[in-house]
Amino acid sequence: MSDNNDKNKKKNVILFALLLSVICSLIITASAVGLKGLQNANMALDKKIKILMAADLIKDKKPSKKDINALYDAHIQEVTVDSKGNVIQTYVPDSLNLYFYQDNGVIKGYVLPINTRGLWGKIQGYLAFENDGQTVSGFSVFSHSETPGLGGEIESAWFRKNFKGKKILNSRNKFVSVGIAKGKAENLPKDLQNHYVDGISGATLTGKYLSEGIKETLMKYDSVSISFRQKDLKPQ
Amino acid sequence: MTQERTNYIDIVIKGIWRENPVAYQVLGICSSLAVTVRMSTAIVMGIALTVVTAFSSMLISSLRKMIPSNIRIIAELAIVASLVIATDQILKAFLYDISKQLSIFVGLIITNCIVMGRAEAFALANKPLDSFFDGIGNGLGYTLVLVIVALIREFLGSGKFLGFNIIPQFALDAGYQNMGLMVLAPGAFFVIGLLVWLKNSLPGISKEER
Repeated sequence: MSDNNDKNKKKNVILFALLLSVICSLIITASAVGLKGLQNANMALDKKIKILMAADLIKDKKPSKKDINALYDAHIQEVTVDSKGNVIQTYVPDSLNLYFYQDNGVIKGYVLPINTRGLWGKIQGYLAFENDGQTVSGFSVFSHSETPGLGGEIESAWFRKNFKGKKILNSRNKFVSVGIAKGKAENLPKDLQNHYVDGISGATLTGKYLSEGIKETLMKYDSVSISFRQKDLKPQ
Repeated sequence: MTQERTNYIDIVIKGIWRENPVAYQVLGICSSLAVTVRMSTAIVMGIALTVVTAFSSMLISSLRKMIPSNIRIIAELAIVASLVIATDQILKAFLYDISKQLSIFVGLIITNCIVMGRAEAFALANKPLDSFFDGIGNGLGYTLVLVIVALIREFLGSGKFLGFNIIPQFALDAGYQNMGLMVLAPGAFFVIGLLVWLKNSLPGISKEER
């Protein structure tokens, strides 16, 4: 009798577990798949905002959706370059994607996508340069999973603003990248201040990974920066 | 009716003060360390956790007679996680800006021991509506501690209040320096520890629990 009861209990447990997993997965799948379209549209718009932010075309106040699309279409052009930094139309292996910021047919700068690891997850963002190929004009973060209040500060306005005007070349025109300092950049030796932004206290590792990621990206896109320095990239 | 209402108020107050999740139950310490560097993140996290705890407690309580006791922890976890992820997905689709603010908290909420702790300690033995208010009370209690800790840490650590500088320039010129320790996790340990001690040594409050 009690044996039978035990069996019944076990059956119930398994049945409940099965039912619960099916219901939970249905809810999650339905919400993830069913809302995919809307989410992707939101993300695409946010990407545009972040590219415009890096290029310093959006100030602190957020414009409407229509304005963003208009601004983006007028000024930003997505281009593909080959490993030598030439703009190409067809796909070749080792090609790189970036964005040109143009105004009335003149290329004013370029925006590089940053894709690196952070402390807890991936950091995706954009780093914009002026058309001299060495001066940073802006930085923005598209997505990250750093701790709010600590590493999460990388997307805050004060942190992003520090990038403006930093150089990736030193006084002898050698590549040094830009990095995140430990603490304030003003405490560094004078010749390094141009290449470091203020760090976030309590988020040393996030800064370290982001510095590494920026350097890696810059090295990957070195040919683009070089051709900008030589001024031989003409608008299309 | 009035009897019930005072009962709900009692449950809420118990969560906020007498059995405060951080100061008395010592739950949710890990997230208290992470999000209390600034007031703004502390407030967002507090509100989000209150909503999640309230609804997950209610849901688990309404299923309490069906959940087999030997797999109850996994069942609770599955329900809480699904609830949070589904909400996150809906926010991403309809309120993208808010979701960007909250998405980073999702992981912290699912793994927050307060949600599970209240499901275990209260929701499994009480009615859905009681559990809902228990969730609200504990969420608010958690928020209260977060905000106090964040207030102290933001003031001492960065000299700010809700992001605004409040240390006057002449003090900085005279050599005032922010306390770097407060920005780091150990600073939160000190503040939380002092708060727990303060709360438990206030007269007349914790006698019945001792």
